[in-house]
Amino acid sequence: MSALAVVAAALQVVCVLAGAPLVVGGMRQVRARLEGRAGGGVGQPWRDLRKQLRKQQITPRGTTVVFAVAPAIAAGSTLLIAAIMPIFALGSPLDSTADLFGVVGLLFLGTVALTLAGLDTGTAFGGMGSSREITIAALVEPTILLAVFALSIPGQSANLAAIVSATLHNPGQVLSLGSVLAFVALVIVIIAETGRLPVDNPSTHLELTMIHEAMVLEYAGPKLALVEWASAMRLTVLLTLLANLFLPWGIAGADPSPLAVLLGLVAITVKVAMLAGALAAGEVFIAKLRYFRVPELLAGSFLLALLAVTASYFLATPTH
Amino acid sequence: MSILLLVPILAPLTATALAALLGWRRLTASVTVFAALAVLVAGAMLALRVESGAHFGVGHLLRADSLSVTMLLVIGTVGTLATWASVGYIDDELHSGHTDRKSAHLYGVLLPLFLAAMALAVLANNIGVMWVAIEATTVATAFLVGHHRTRAALEATWKYVVICSVGIALAFLGTVLLYFASLHAGASSAHALDIDTLLNNAPQLDPDVTRLAAGLLLLGYGAKAGLVPFHTWLADAHSQAPAPVSALMSGVLLSVAFASLLRVKSVVDLTLGAGFLRTGLLVVGLLTLLIAASLLVVQTDFKRMLAYSSMENMGLVAIAAAAGTELAIAALLLHVLAHGIGKSLAFLASGQLQAAHNSTAISAVTGVLTRSRLIGVAFVVGLAVLIGLPPFAMFASELSISRALAGANLEWILGAALVLMTVAFSALVRNGSRMLLGQPAPDSPTIPLPGTVAAALITGIVLSVALGLSAGPLTQLFQSAATQLGASQ
Amino acid sequence: MMTQATYAGVLDLTVGAFLLAAVLIVWRRELSSIVHLLAWQGAALAAIPLAEGIYRGDAGPIVVGVVVLVLRAGALPVLLLQAVGTADTERRESTPLVNTTSSLLITAGLTILAYAVTRPIIALNPAPATRAVPAAFAVILIAVFVMVSRRRALSQAVGFLMLDNSITATAFLITGGVPLIVELGASLDVLFAVFVLGVLTSRMRRTFGGTDLDQLRELRD
Repeated sequence: MSALAVVAAALQVVCVLAGAPLVVGGMRQVRARLEGRAGGGVGQPWRDLRKQLRKQQITPRGTTVVFAVAPAIAAGSTLLIAAIMPIFALGSPLDSTADLFGVVGLLFLGTVALTLAGLDTGTAFGGMGSSREITIAALVEPTILLAVFALSIPGQSANLAAIVSATLHNPGQVLSLGSVLAFVALVIVIIAETGRLPVDNPSTHLELTMIHEAMVLEYAGPKLALVEWASAMRLTVLLTLLANLFLPWGIAGADPSPLAVLLGLVAITVKVAMLAGALAAGEVFIAKLRYFRVPELLAGSFLLALLAVTASYFLATPTH
Repeated sequence: MSILLLVPILAPLTATALAALLGWRRLTASVTVFAALAVLVAGAMLALRVESGAHFGVGHLLRADSLSVTMLLVIGTVGTLATWASVGYIDDELHSGHTDRKSAHLYGVLLPLFLAAMALAVLANNIGVMWVAIEATTVATAFLVGHHRTRAALEATWKYVVICSVGIALAFLGTVLLYFASLHAGASSAHALDIDTLLNNAPQLDPDVTRLAAGLLLLGYGAKAGLVPFHTWLADAHSQAPAPVSALMSGVLLSVAFASLLRVKSVVDLTLGAGFLRTGLLVVGLLTLLIAASLLVVQTDFKRMLAYSSMENMGLVAIAAAAGTELAIAALLLHVLAHGIGKSLAFLASGQLQAAHNSTAISAVTGVLTRSRLIGVAFVVGLAVLIGLPPFAMFASELSISRALAGANLEWILGAALVLMTVAFSALVRNGSRMLLGQPAPDSPTIPLPGTVAAALITGIVLSVALGLSAGPLTQLFQSAATQLGASQ
Repeated sequence: MMTQATYAGVLDLTVGAFLLAAVLIVWRRELSSIVHLLAWQGAALAAIPLAEGIYRGDAGPIVVGVVVLVLRAGALPVLLLQAVGTADTERRESTPLVNTTSSLLITAGLTILAYAVTRPIIALNPAPATRAVPAAFAVILIAVFVMVSRRRALSQAVGFLMLDNSITATAFLITGGVPLIVELGASLDVLFAVFVLGVLTSRMRRTFGGTDLDQLRELRD
């Protein structure tokens, strides 16, 4: 655990904080261009955040501390994940806690915080959004656990850094059956967790189709800014997870040089940008699924994750 | 020697080819009858030679032992009766407009093909080839069952093809697993599925894999034999098919499928001991008997009634096979032969009743004995055979099976089977008497009786009586089959 | 030409594709896409003996692989597609007897069951090919489930073909295939069976005006 590793870890947090709105902006821009519009530019989310931070804080009557604290919890848990996950380098000081279960638990904490806030408002939309969100979360959590578990079987450890270094040492593993199935399952899970099409439309406010937006309908001003920022950071963190688990090349090792850290930064930026662009492009072509069809999709991804686990477990070639 | 083994397969195939070329006419239909006779004659000639042991032909591909010969006799006898009756039956249908030339042509082509497939199934030495032949019988009989283009026939055909194909697919998996076990016991890949190789290597086959294979084969071949749980196609297919085809399917095909199961049993018993398949066959047999007897009681359709009676008999046969002693197996084979002839009589007679009334409802038919002497007597004899009245052979076979079950310490099973058979007996008697006895309703149509159908019925009656009075040289054949199958004392 | 590790990896992927095709057949509801998935499954099936032939440098399995490819990825799906028909109401499976979510969860359960049941087979012969048997066995169970839970005649036919594909795959994996004569006989039988099913489907369409199997309920006790 060198000083440079600590610096790298701190840098991770700052970069996620700063870069998350850019990721969302980039996705919106790709969609806009593909749909033939000019778009608002990649920096538009930053401008929106700045506008909202300057507004007056309004709190609905009858809400409790839950409503007040939830955005902070959501943002805080995501930043914590950013701190403990290996993004640029493998040797962060909190590495030993970068366990699979820890990461999933923190993600879930953020979801639950916002869900409770939606209930706390006491409005119809809030309750509806919360119930839909928690249904999806209930179906998604087992899948994400199984998918990353499938990836951890070859490396025999659930620690994220260990999984990444196992893949670095054994690149052919990415093409194994378990990996491919886990990848597909994780993509579906990420789409569901971050509320993108086809599970949820992030820009709709129609009562029939809102899920995430319904939960946070009552937020305004700085709290809304925090909520939007937290969503953007979740998306960035999940895309980073996907990139590092399956395409880990470029990440700095446990005892990196400054150049390696810089290389890691550039690598992850490129990978996340590519994944985000692909996701946005895919969204242009897919229609939103009707809500009652979503459990089908999630059951399918659960099945794929389960098959990934069985494939990794039983078909593992006896070379380790 | 090889010629005798090839005749039962090639003769019907020649009839098929001729029928394909020339369409349905007296010539091709008669050739089919001669082909069936050839099967019977070849079986009789082989009977004398196989009591000492199995004979092989065409390299090591075909095998004739006492079990094969017994089954050839059954195929030949029932085949001759059914093909002979078909001539008149189809001609009658063509005249009355119940079918067209194209359907008759298809019938003429598929019927001998069916016989050839069954002959191959009982003569094959390689259980993989045996499987192929049994699957071929499903394909060959599909359009025979669907000969009448009615909605009900279509439904019956679909169920038949789907359920039997699923069952047969499971049997294929069982065959593959046996092949796997056999290869691991040291057999060469070309001969690993040969019956004699399997019998030799049986003690070395892996028990767990064999257990899995035996279970699958029991389910799969049981499906073709009309045993639970894949039995739901039987009543539909046998009742919707034209009468000669029903006779063949009820009388022979079920037994041929069961004979395949007996072959597998002789191997598996050497590997796992008699206990595994004994329990399996007992459970399956009793359940089949139970379901058949219960459904017989509520029947309102006489062809379905006969079909359920076949199912009941197959259940009994399964229980007899479970007992596994020499007496049981010999009695089983006599039962199969007698059932084949008796069922044919009943089905051929009912075919004419269906042609007369255009329906198969029991309530529609009355006073048959008064209206047509021959059909009435044939139906009476058929039913008498089926309910096990002396002097017909099924009385002797059922008595022997009971003795065998008692001797094998299966008294409770025997008791249950007897109760269920009594239920079936009463249902058959009640429905039969309703149809046969008493005065016919005033507007009953005349029952047509084509010449060949009459001839087949008379021959069938004579054969049933003869078989009942004395099984003659066949007793020895059945006993040697039992010994060759490895039955215990 | 191939190392053992590569052979094991290729076998992994083909059997995995085989299983994935089965899962997608359970998931999808359009009849034409189900038949296309069946064709892909046939191609994955053919890859198994082809891979073995290339690994061992043996011509026999390669011939079998080509025959299987032509038959199960070509002829049989084409036969079925012809029977799919052009009527709009016929293109989709009607609501299956078990809804899609439950079907997928049941499929997960069946996969685990398959792994449990095939342990003695793997114990007898722990080669890389045999270790892939549980996946093929899972497809057997999934195929039986598909046949039982579908309403359209053609979906049942697809289920039957999937059953046959999976049993053939099991045969290839554990024994390198059954003797040639049995394989040829089995293929011919399947071809004729599908032909029969196709003809029955068109007869059904003419007689009943559709191929919904729920209409077949005249015969019962």
